[in-house]
Amino acid sequence: MSRSKTKQIAIYGKGGIGKSTTTSNISAALVQAGYKVMQFGCDPKTDSTNTLRGGEYIPSVLDLLRENSRVDAHQAIFQGFGGIYCVEAGGPQPGVGCAGRGIITAVQLLKQQNIFEELDLDFVIFDVLGDVVCGGFAVPIREGIAEHVFTISSADFMAIYAANNLFRGIQTYSNKGGALLGGVIANSINTDFQREILDDFVTRTRTQVVEYVPRSLTVTQSELQGKTTIEAAPHSEQAQVYRRLARRIAEHSESKVPSPLSQQELRAWSAGWADQLIEIERKAERLAIAS
Amino acid sequence: MTINLKTTEAETREQRLGTIVQWEGGAAQLARDSAFTYGCARGCNNGGRRLCEATTPFSQASVCAETLAVTNATTIQDSVVIQHSPIGCAASQSITCRYSRDLAARRGWEVENPKSMCTNLVENDMVFGGIAALEEAIRAAWERHKPKIILVATSCATGVIGDDVDGVVQRMEAELGVTVVPLICEGFKFKHWSNGWDVIEHGILRRMVRKPTRRQEDLINVIHLGGPDVFTPLLAPMGLRVNLVMGINRLDRLAEMSEATATATMCFVLSYLAAGLEQEFGVPEIKAPLPYGLDATDEWLRDIARVTGRTDSVESVIAGERARIAPELARLRRALAGKKGFVAAGAAFAHGLIADLRELGVEVDSAYSFHHDPSTDSGDPRQDSLGYLVETSGDIPNFTVSPDQHFQVHAALKRAKPDFVICRHSGSTAVLAVRLGIPVLPIFYSNDGLGYEGLLTIGRAILRVLPRRRFCEDVAAHSTFPYQPWWLNQTNPFASI
Repeated sequence: MSRSKTKQIAIYGKGGIGKSTTTSNISAALVQAGYKVMQFGCDPKTDSTNTLRGGEYIPSVLDLLRENSRVDAHQAIFQGFGGIYCVEAGGPQPGVGCAGRGIITAVQLLKQQNIFEELDLDFVIFDVLGDVVCGGFAVPIREGIAEHVFTISSADFMAIYAANNLFRGIQTYSNKGGALLGGVIANSINTDFQREILDDFVTRTRTQVVEYVPRSLTVTQSELQGKTTIEAAPHSEQAQVYRRLARRIAEHSESKVPSPLSQQELRAWSAGWADQLIEIERKAERLAIAS
Repeated sequence: MTINLKTTEAETREQRLGTIVQWEGGAAQLARDSAFTYGCARGCNNGGRRLCEATTPFSQASVCAETLAVTNATTIQDSVVIQHSPIGCAASQSITCRYSRDLAARRGWEVENPKSMCTNLVENDMVFGGIAALEEAIRAAWERHKPKIILVATSCATGVIGDDVDGVVQRMEAELGVTVVPLICEGFKFKHWSNGWDVIEHGILRRMVRKPTRRQEDLINVIHLGGPDVFTPLLAPMGLRVNLVMGINRLDRLAEMSEATATATMCFVLSYLAAGLEQEFGVPEIKAPLPYGLDATDEWLRDIARVTGRTDSVESVIAGERARIAPELARLRRALAGKKGFVAAGAAFAHGLIADLRELGVEVDSAYSFHHDPSTDSGDPRQDSLGYLVETSGDIPNFTVSPDQHFQVHAALKRAKPDFVICRHSGSTAVLAVRLGIPVLPIFYSNDGLGYEGLLTIGRAILRVLPRRRFCEDVAAHSTFPYQPWWLNQTNPFASI
């Protein structure tokens, strides 16, 4: 494989949607496929890389910065499953300081010390908290950091709103050398209508679904052991899904500027789907009565 | 209009008064279009339009409202001011030290270095919050100086990260037993530096003025910008004691403001405090036109006499003062006849200086106001100082509103071609005028033009600077400006760039 250029990827999504779970499984699958990978958690909770290190928390870049006037970025890099380089940006305790500024500070430190180049990485995957709420959380999609952004979304409307917000952020930076959108990782998709909702959303916003990831008990069981599904249940169907997803991301080369929906369009779109869902429910009830 | 003292944060002037910082046109039009109740209160209905603020591409020379608030907090005696900010925000404190000492000396008070500290916030404080640094600074301030009061000024940095300064202030007051006053002054919130006055006056009103236990019938609060007490000679003959506040303060003087019989101000830009004293403690604000020029000073004194119940003595004071200054005033008018002046100062103060010059027989057809307040906190049309000026002495055809922008001052002076410039502060306008070959009278302590004596003070000072034209022309001959030729010849400060 070519080591000429590190592929930098950012994964965004609404809180609790399964970003860290999915990201860690992508990292694990990539490292198994022979790539050199770094996973960079951008969440003050510092739990992005837990399942890559047996459930263990690692000191964050900002922990080190808080305690030392000079920090060697290597001190913030820990190896996990298959040799994955794990880094956590860290951040302030809830309700104080500025988590966005924290991400800027942490990313800048690694950039200034040429860490990404030095480790000769194939992939750096940024796992970024939630919505693009301020400039700090947009750092991974700004110039010189990630090239490709993937967003994780379920068919839940709030998750789709967050994805649409991310699309707006990407659009903002798209003509300034920022990252472009690779597509949507459809998570917790177990029914046809969930798939249809997301398919409809990506069509309207001119992007694509990279992979449909079903909700699975195997993921929960693996996480309770402090492991990724790739590590804990390598032969499971879910592990195959994650491997397929990782392969698609590895093969992905051309990202695009999305076409986010306006607030008004998004409201109208979700209202339309609400009507359809009621109809689906009624149909199911009628079928149940008839049988 | 109500001042909200329940919150730690003063509402901005832009929000309360509709303050603008960019405008160009005739003073009469600006007065007519301003938001005062000019229309309904004066029997016409063409006032109170929404002012259309102009724009310029630069903001070359201004000052942060935080600096103004912090400077005035620092000059409160027996206090410690803590700037909760990166150290750069505290850069002005060395100048403030000199300023505070000078003010104290001029008032005959003991000259001391003011006490100020800075939390010196760095990157980690931005990420993790600066609250711990603030608590440490407040404890250190108390340990080192045992002040009567501690003032905590916020900054852009702490505003953006949302440091809970109010929470710290409350905790520290409980822990140390000293009054700690937050001054919420993130510079980015304000278009104009004069908001800094409101910030410090808000803090004074909330925490430094005591609940009145009695009325001191002979005490009058006078709010000024600093400098010698020119008020006592006017008001003492009426049996009034002057409680001169702002421009250096003592806590006991601030505390007793609530017991005064009235509050006057030398500039309506500072009238947030006066309006607050009237609203909270029933101390009436003098709303007559400011005492610049003979008639206005007469009316100002009469209004004070009416409000304080001293109408029997006021006419003799007026007559005596007029008679006293008449010979020299006549001499000054003769000496200044045919001269043309240009005024650059802040809003009501600029209006006052123009009135002085016109009283002295000087022509003023161009002026530069650092901001414009279309209203005051009282909303009383008698405080419409620009309207009063236009009504009593005519229009100023070239009236520029701009916060001291070099390139605009250059154009305005090229257009005005004055014999001299009179300006507030000794900064950019003064230097620029000299480099254009125009003699300048910079006014640092702004009480110089007040009342009857002020006319003489200003007139004498102008006569002192006029002979400097030759020197200024020499300076101009050796000066260059960093503008393209087309701007060097430009006479419209708002010509599109």
